[in-house]
Amino acid sequence: MRADPFESWLAAGPAPARWGMRALVALATRPRGAALLRRLGPVGQLSGSVVALRRYDRPEVARRLGFDAAAVVARGRALRRAEGRP
Amino acid sequence: MRLSADVCVVGAGAGGAVVAAELAEGGADVVLLDRGPRHNPDDLTARPPEMLARLYRDGGQTVTLGSPPVGLPLGSGLGGTTLVNSGTCFRTPPAVLARWAREHGLELDGGVLDPCFERVERALSVGPVTPELAGRNAEVARRGAAALGWSHGYIARNARGCVGSGVCAYGCPASAKQHVGITYVPRAEAAGARVLTGAAVERIAVAGGRARGVEGLRTGRRRVALAIDAPLVVVAAGTVETPLLLARSGLGAASGQLGRNLSLHPATAAFARMDEVVDMARGVPQSLYVDEFAADGIMLEGIAGPPAHAALALPLTGAAHAEAMADYRRLAQFGLMVSDSSRGSVRSVAGRPLVRYDLCDADLARFRTGLARLRELFETAGARAVHLPLPAGVEPRRARRRDLKLMAFHPLGTARADASAERGVVDGDLAVHGVDGVHVADGSVVPSSLGVNPQITIMALATRLALGLLAT
Repeated sequence: MRADPFESWLAAGPAPARWGMRALVALATRPRGAALLRRLGPVGQLSGSVVALRRYDRPEVARRLGFDAAAVVARGRALRRAEGRP
Repeated sequence: MRLSADVCVVGAGAGGAVVAAELAEGGADVVLLDRGPRHNPDDLTARPPEMLARLYRDGGQTVTLGSPPVGLPLGSGLGGTTLVNSGTCFRTPPAVLARWAREHGLELDGGVLDPCFERVERALSVGPVTPELAGRNAEVARRGAAALGWSHGYIARNARGCVGSGVCAYGCPASAKQHVGITYVPRAEAAGARVLTGAAVERIAVAGGRARGVEGLRTGRRRVALAIDAPLVVVAAGTVETPLLLARSGLGAASGQLGRNLSLHPATAAFARMDEVVDMARGVPQSLYVDEFAADGIMLEGIAGPPAHAALALPLTGAAHAEAMADYRRLAQFGLMVSDSSRGSVRSVAGRPLVRYDLCDADLARFRTGLARLRELFETAGARAVHLPLPAGVEPRRARRRDLKLMAFHPLGTARADASAERGVVDGDLAVHGVDGVHVADGSVVPSSLGVNPQITIMALATRLALGLLAT
């Protein structure tokens, strides 16, 4: 089964950042945690950005905003095959 | 695993791939090593988190230690950062080459590098982006720059058959970007070079003051010891890793400059809410530059990406963020890159690189000015609102270091070239001072900030090195 892209990204970080990021995401996705983070300035903004990365990467959300990753990839793949690109 | 070769090249990015191909085509028996994988274009998904995890070192989460902390994304695998850069191609500015001659005794000015620039540009199919391919995000900035009378132009890129997929930083699904993983690396292999991925080099073996090869580990299904016997070693592991490899090997430290003089292009970006549909991910993300303030160390360049990319960078929170993202199709984005005076360092802590970098006053001033210029650009282009990467209520002229939300690109200088062994790690021919048979061919030799994207500079220097080695 294909790994969740966001989880793959979190797991790819170096150990200290990975732990910190997981903690921030866990906090940011809970109402009281999110409220706490909002009071923490840059840390709050970072956690919000990371949660947003996950949300707006979802195909159905991105498609609603005019970006279809699968279509972009399919077009690229067709060009590569048709023109013998690497 | 033990192999013998004429030359061992460590690192298959902008410098190493070029050296390997040129040497192999010149008749040398070459082994090219890279710690990362060989990426299959069929695995590219145009989805930022997944591609960050797969194509970037540490998932693109490398951060400098200092004030402010700066994200430093670096590519991983065959192609190195050329795999994930924007494909922007600038030659080294003549003023920079003249400065290197004055300050570092490097005889690279006066057209010396021109044949190498031409050779690289031919190999990579470098040409300007057309207005149609640049897309509407670039058009917003172009309109603003034109109205303000600011110098600007379409960027030259290493792309062939580009259809404006809009995801250069996440791997080109059309293989239009001519990164070195699909240009120079295949050339090297066609000329007989052996390419090993998953090869982590621990040290350069030296005996009697001369290179004997490299030692390390090959990862994969199982880890095996790796040794390459070669009288010539070219280190091209990148500005972060190269000084650490030299240090582990007891090389290059005599000048006291190894791992120091780190120069970056710290950067940030602003967003604008437009009346028109922009669809920033349709077209070439980095297709336009505004160099009106280049002499002051401020370069404005395009940046754009899919919704996830925009959501990560958009400097808003909560409901304001959601409202702006709902209007993604009308969002425009443009970047600001500073040619830095700050200098950082790289050292090893617990076996991992630690990058230290503090933004100096002069660079803080450049960001204050640059952010004000970005706002002016967007407002002149007709923006309904401009979102600067600053906390609410903070004006650019009052921005403090901790207010800035920075990424940085193009690390350079940690094994800088200088004709003098007392001032540099490598000489003008990129040979490590104090040892025979060890050369460096990556951004670490570049002795100062360029003010422009460095891939062509690195490749031209690598070409000159290879042609010089073949001539001896």
